[in-house]
Amino acid sequence: MGQRIKLTNSLSKEAALVKKLQNPALKDRAFSELLDVYQERLYWHIRKLVITHENADDVLQNTFIRVYKNIQKFEGKSSLHTWMYRIAYNESIRFLEKINKMSYDYIDVIAESHLEVLFEDAYFDGEEIQIKLHKIIDGFTEKQKRVFQMKYFDELSFRQISEVLEVSESTLKSTYYTTVKIIKEKIFL
Amino acid sequence: MKNTSENNNKENFLKEGFEGSISKHHKKYLGTGIPEGYFAESKISILAKIKEVSLLNEQPKRQLVFWMQPQFKYMVAASLVFVLGITIWMQNLDISNATNEITFDQVAFTNDILLESLLVEESEIEAFTNATLFNEVVVKAELSEQKLDNLILNSLIIEDSLFDDYIDDKFIETIIL
Repeated sequence: MGQRIKLTNSLSKEAALVKKLQNPALKDRAFSELLDVYQERLYWHIRKLVITHENADDVLQNTFIRVYKNIQKFEGKSSLHTWMYRIAYNESIRFLEKINKMSYDYIDVIAESHLEVLFEDAYFDGEEIQIKLHKIIDGFTEKQKRVFQMKYFDELSFRQISEVLEVSESTLKSTYYTTVKIIKEKIFL
Repeated sequence: MKNTSENNNKENFLKEGFEGSISKHHKKYLGTGIPEGYFAESKISILAKIKEVSLLNEQPKRQLVFWMQPQFKYMVAASLVFVLGITIWMQNLDISNATNEITFDQVAFTNDILLESLLVEESEIEAFTNATLFNEVVVKAELSEQKLDNLILNSLIIEDSLFDDYIDDKFIETIIL
């Protein structure tokens, strides 16, 4: 009951924010509000896709510029949160493709393992257990990785993940619980 | 004792929710960090970029010179189409006139020939007729007669040879039998 009230409140807040964003007179102030609410969440979503802080910073800026330019086209078919996640996801994929075209050396590193890029990042200082978790996640398929990260670290609901990745909720649930089981089995081995 | 604590760790791992902020959660589980005060700086930088974008969008569109404005563009386009249409029509008109002229010339030429033929001497016409008759009738008749003779001769020769072969074969068979 309490959760439903919380969800309703959050949706009505989101609807009010969208209205302000789509009003040219209030757009700029509303956008600052939008950044306060979603900047950190989107950053971490992007960071897990593009690995390094520097890349995540670039993609985050591009994501918000795209959101700003396209907010008038937002029709409310999904939540604003999911819509922005999808933009961030697409921007990250576009960024990775661009990098792959530009530098073959970088592709090789990515192809070998995301871990090498991550360990070279100045803003990574993981300990043994964290490195182990990264290694386990790195062994997952791309789909398993995305589902686990979105569910566990970004705290998205299965419905939201389903809207972002365009995969059925039942498949996502099965994928997620499989990944959690694998992590639990391997983490303290 | 150690096993019990490990089991507890296993039980608790991936069960905790966000501790304060999503960034701390990532730091704790993934070891990934961010520069201090990053989000505040990033917000300022994003808002500055967005201001640039909105300024670009707000900039009044350049006033076009009067003849490049849309209403004039349409008029110019319509005039061009009209002129092109007229040109094509005129060209077609010229072609039909030319055709008429050719027909007239042909008729005049035919009439000239008819008139000239009236003025030709009868002896010339007779000589022409004889020559034509000789070429068309006599020579062709002679040639066709020659062809017929050749045909008959060929058929006779071939038939005779066949007949001879037949007789020879029969003769040999009779002797053998």
